[in-house]
Amino acid sequence: MYSLSWLILLLPLAGFLGLSWFGKRFPKLLGGWFACAMVGGAFLVTLLMLAQLYSESPADRLNHVQTLYPWIVSEGFSLNLSILIDPLSVFMLLIVTGVGALIHVYSIGYMHHDKEFTRFFAYLNLFIFAMSVLVLAADFFFLIVGWALVGLASYLLIGFWTEKKSAVLAARKAFVMNVIGDVGMVIAAFMIFEHFGSLNYVDVFKAAPTAFFPNDDSILLITFLLLVGAFAKSAQIPLHTWLPDAMEGPTPVSALIHAATMVTAGVYLVARCNALFTMAPFTMYLIAAVGVMTAIFAGSVGMVQYDIKRVIAYSTMSQIGFMFLAVGVGVFSIGMFHLMTHAFFKALLFLAAGSVIHGMADEQDIRKMGGLRYAMPITFITFLIGSLALAGFPMTAGFFSKEEIVMSAYNAQYGNIVFWGMAIIAVAMTGFYTFRLFFYTFMGKSRTPEAKPHESPLVMTAPLMVLAGLSLVGGFLGPWVHEFLSPVFGGTFVDHHDDAMMEIIAVAAAFSGILAAVAIYMTGKDQLAFAKQMLAPIYEALFNKYYIDEIYDFLIVKPVKGIGKFMEERAEKLGIDFSIDEIGRQVREVSRGISIWQSGKVRIYALNMVAGMVTILLFVIFM
Amino acid sequence: MGSEFVLFVSAAIFSIGALGFVIRKNPLVMFMSVELMLNAVNFLLIGYSSFLNSLDGQIFALIIMTVAAAEVVVGLAIILTIFRTRHELDVDRINTLKG
Repeated sequence: MYSLSWLILLLPLAGFLGLSWFGKRFPKLLGGWFACAMVGGAFLVTLLMLAQLYSESPADRLNHVQTLYPWIVSEGFSLNLSILIDPLSVFMLLIVTGVGALIHVYSIGYMHHDKEFTRFFAYLNLFIFAMSVLVLAADFFFLIVGWALVGLASYLLIGFWTEKKSAVLAARKAFVMNVIGDVGMVIAAFMIFEHFGSLNYVDVFKAAPTAFFPNDDSILLITFLLLVGAFAKSAQIPLHTWLPDAMEGPTPVSALIHAATMVTAGVYLVARCNALFTMAPFTMYLIAAVGVMTAIFAGSVGMVQYDIKRVIAYSTMSQIGFMFLAVGVGVFSIGMFHLMTHAFFKALLFLAAGSVIHGMADEQDIRKMGGLRYAMPITFITFLIGSLALAGFPMTAGFFSKEEIVMSAYNAQYGNIVFWGMAIIAVAMTGFYTFRLFFYTFMGKSRTPEAKPHESPLVMTAPLMVLAGLSLVGGFLGPWVHEFLSPVFGGTFVDHHDDAMMEIIAVAAAFSGILAAVAIYMTGKDQLAFAKQMLAPIYEALFNKYYIDEIYDFLIVKPVKGIGKFMEERAEKLGIDFSIDEIGRQVREVSRGISIWQSGKVRIYALNMVAGMVTILLFVIFM
Repeated sequence: MGSEFVLFVSAAIFSIGALGFVIRKNPLVMFMSVELMLNAVNFLLIGYSSFLNSLDGQIFALIIMTVAAAEVVVGLAIILTIFRTRHELDVDRINTLKG
């Protein structure tokens, strides 16, 4: 059965190639449904893999490597195109293909009016293929291949509307930021090969516990470089600036790539390489610290933004910060659990936001919305469910996973009270910005009476309803997730829920955030204006995203441009250009001197010939 | 008739040819001068063939005559074409191939 695993890669690839080559000949909708079928097929094959894993005992579920093709075979090094099936990769693939299939279906409705409908679906299938490569890779080489391919798909999809300049610039920004991470990954792969003589996960992870002392220089460097890749891909401080801009792409793209799957690849990477990271406790602290800082940072910026998609984008960064906090303190399966629930409710929120944007004729500013609960009832209900799940309302999906993270921030191996406290703050912020967005969009009265919002068609609302269902019940999958993934993370899962007081504080934090939003945005405008005035400097800083973009512009972009200008004006014009030109000038002068000899006069040629002849003759006779 | 005679006659004809080739402006005459030089060589070859009792020189002379005939065909064709296009045959003025 595992031998069918290549279908997971082949189906989306076939979809991509088919739509690229023959897309123009497909009837429009058929192309979309074809792409959906390919991803749905991949999802079914993944389910098959899941069933197959379940037919084995937990200890035997690891390291099923399918070698498809021996690619490079040489002495001391061999590279096979191979697929790794284990609980972690199947778990991740279920999210990628499952949520991916739903978003494909949704896109048929959302992109219906776009004239480049099939190109969009070709890119979406390319993304699913790339993500499958990333997840199914059995060695670091193909991990990097997948890593770069999802970056490419992300670039193509952010810049999908090529006539929109801001979209193209955002795509470029995302690509450049991701390449910074790719470089880190590649160097890490070199170092891993140097130390282990292999790039295979199986070999490397088996050798890792004995190859290093904890906190060795080399293991710290390897994990740190892997982390550069993970942070760039997952939009963590300080490589986060591309994600909010990436919202320039079509909304289904934001849901699929920049919320549910690709941006969580960094968490997956840390979880996958847990054998390496646990050898570097210092790096683990770093992951947890950066994660929780990003959670607060992004949460605070999200509280004051007015673009519906940007708020959700900052929320995504914040939630990925929670995931990094979880894997950083050493509870990998909780991080993966939050990854799953986040994929459900964040994809839901993005798709619902897309439905709002669709219904509002491409309006994204929440100040111009309001009162949409009557016009868009299904979107309203599903968005509410997504918001509750994101804010961590009891019994929703986000409640379970976030509670576990907050608790383990204190209880787990590398946890401490500081992480816990910061996580509590971030939880409160989550509740606030989520419901601020919700109230702005759906409650109150419409702020643009001339707008005629309408509910989206069934092809868009059906995925919303499925995701809403998952966001409600997904939390109850927690024990299953921990049990299923425990073989990958070495042994049994330890439940840290033991301090009732701390749990109550965490729930209270979530509620306080929600209540603050209610207090400010439901009761009237006065408090809002008052709060804005009191906190004006902070508000300004938050609204401008802590000026990070400006700082980068000042520290990196401007100096680089300055160096470039200097090089152009001095080094190139006076150095390179001048010397090249001078060589050319000299050659021309010499040639002009020589070309006198070629006068075109036959008699002079003849005279020269005779003179030469006579010279040779004299030479022969007298020498 | 000694070999010196052959040498002198040959050298004289060759020099006349070379001189004519250098100083004349009409390509037709220049051509004739080239023939003169070639035939000076032929004369020398045949003369020495006789002195040395060897046929090699005569074979060489025949080859040179063949080459000269072929060369005249090409050369005259070129001169004819130049005359047709430019209506003049002064080699000092036919100098468009200068560098």
